[in-house]
Amino acid sequence: MSTATLAPAAFDEFGRCLPTAVQSPVHRQSRRYFRLGTPAVDPAAILARLGRHLGAGKGLDVNSFTRRIDAIRARLAADPATAGMLNGLAVPFIVPRTPVTEIGTLMEEGYLPAVARSFEEAFPAERFTNHVKLGLAGKLTVQPGSRHERLIEAMGDDEVVGLYFPCLTEYSLPAAVEQIASLPDHLLLAGGFDTAAAFVGVPDLLLRTDGYPPLLWLTGLAGEKPGIGYHFEAYGHDLTFNRRAHLGQTAEYWWSGISVLETR
Amino acid sequence: MTATLTADPGLTASEAAKRNDLASRKPHVAAKLARVAEMEERGEISPIIRLEKSYLCNFQCTHCSAEYYMDRHLEKVFKIKDERQKIDLDDIRRLSKEADELGLARFVITGGEPLVMKDFDAVVEAIDPDRHYVITDTNGWFLDLERARHLKAIGVEKVQLSLDSMIEAEHDKFRNKPGSYKRVMRAIDASLEAGLNLILSTVLVRGRGKSDEFRQMCEFAKSKGIGLYVSYAKPTGSCTDHPEFVIDKEDADVVRELEKSYPVFTHMTPSYGSFKGCITVKGIITVTSTAEITPCPYIDFSLGNLRQNSLKEILDRGMRNPWLGPHRPDCLIGEDPQFIKIHTERTKGATHLPLPWGKGFSDNDSLQDEK
Repeated sequence: MSTATLAPAAFDEFGRCLPTAVQSPVHRQSRRYFRLGTPAVDPAAILARLGRHLGAGKGLDVNSFTRRIDAIRARLAADPATAGMLNGLAVPFIVPRTPVTEIGTLMEEGYLPAVARSFEEAFPAERFTNHVKLGLAGKLTVQPGSRHERLIEAMGDDEVVGLYFPCLTEYSLPAAVEQIASLPDHLLLAGGFDTAAAFVGVPDLLLRTDGYPPLLWLTGLAGEKPGIGYHFEAYGHDLTFNRRAHLGQTAEYWWSGISVLETR
Repeated sequence: MTATLTADPGLTASEAAKRNDLASRKPHVAAKLARVAEMEERGEISPIIRLEKSYLCNFQCTHCSAEYYMDRHLEKVFKIKDERQKIDLDDIRRLSKEADELGLARFVITGGEPLVMKDFDAVVEAIDPDRHYVITDTNGWFLDLERARHLKAIGVEKVQLSLDSMIEAEHDKFRNKPGSYKRVMRAIDASLEAGLNLILSTVLVRGRGKSDEFRQMCEFAKSKGIGLYVSYAKPTGSCTDHPEFVIDKEDADVVRELEKSYPVFTHMTPSYGSFKGCITVKGIITVTSTAEITPCPYIDFSLGNLRQNSLKEILDRGMRNPWLGPHRPDCLIGEDPQFIKIHTERTKGATHLPLPWGKGFSDNDSLQDEK
């Protein structure tokens, strides 16, 4: 799809994707009460953590990783429809090559433990808690319209380098799906593997001491029932993974992410 | 109705035992409580109903959120009497029925000091302990073993006992009542002896979380095997004159850290994986002595009056309000400066609280107003 046929995407000076042509619940304006802190986005540290905890990027050196990230940034910067994304936080990630047969099991057995190891290594006094005690097996599928299937397909073929943007702030999940349809074709709603990989690389993504950070939904994935979603959320200085009813509603506290994958 | 005995693997053994005991004695109540998680998944709510039938109190605490509702305050400060119609037992019976029909399951009798109410037993009966889980707040002054056994006998399940410092002189000073600390200690033993569920309730003022005294209170609760409920000081009621009491995020995070080691919790602590965050409307409502319903004990804006609106209509108003309905992790009236400013400005000089629907909250509320 050509971006020439689309209205220019509007990202504000903070990188928030402004809702255009969205009918589902969304906050048209934000008072920016819930915010991310200023986590260090250091490619060397990210690459080291991804290798240590997720087995990703092991054949990459920092310069190559940085070049590949910069290439994604350059592509976004070159398009007026996406340049504003770079006003906000962008978290580089690598998802290792893995044929995905079952999303929930892979999240539960591979990615969430990796997030836990990275978080508790960085913050030994704090905890990562997966509150979903009844398991994830068979409960997560790609959300129709999210474009997230492209990551699942790509990671079956090769290791995937990308950037995670928590920029759909104060959108309901249906609004995020609507919004992604109006954005350039190479942007997809973030789901489980990309968001978790972002947390492995930047474990303090939701750490804030002077105020409250947002909750980050895995909007590229649908839960086992309509209206149920899965998310990462801070609790004090701790990090949690949980599920809850969203029922298509919006909240200042609820954000979704967009992933941009490199094209090779 | 029969209640299924609980076998949830996520429950602690003691919690499972408590729930099974309740199911054997009060199956209707236990069944409703067991359905709360299902209701939440459907987007339905099951708030605890705090019932402030009377504000009569034998204490005059430094941090009291109800002081501005009390006759003594109106008479002393404004030289007026509150002529508004007060709730009676028929109102409570009707509320109990409406709440039951909506699946709500919990009442907290509060005040004022509930145990000075002459009609306390009649209020419990009007709520109906076979229909709802009944809790009472108390400062403990009148809670000896005989009274504790009586509460249990009339159907009260749980007592929330206020303790504001492990240092006797500090507690008594905060509560402006010499001897009150000793009465709390007596009440703890009496409640446990009588087989009442018991939690301690304490107010967190700024900086207290890091104090040795607070750590001692956490240790004390742990040693007694009872929960310690921590209420943040909010800029309302008597605390309006003490802005220095209001906590910040660091204080809240200190308590969150202590939750890892002690049976300490706030209204926003995740419970068995359910993380409501701020519980306004979603987890609690307050019914004032004039039948107004407010979304939490510390917000003096009404969502409607039970004599004029159904409980369901009032809850729906709350849930569609942009401040109250959406999920948020922080305390609206304790931590959000924009809302605190709105609340302070609108209630300033008001003689009769809460402000009625339309004067405080309304369907025109917006997060964008009055930054």
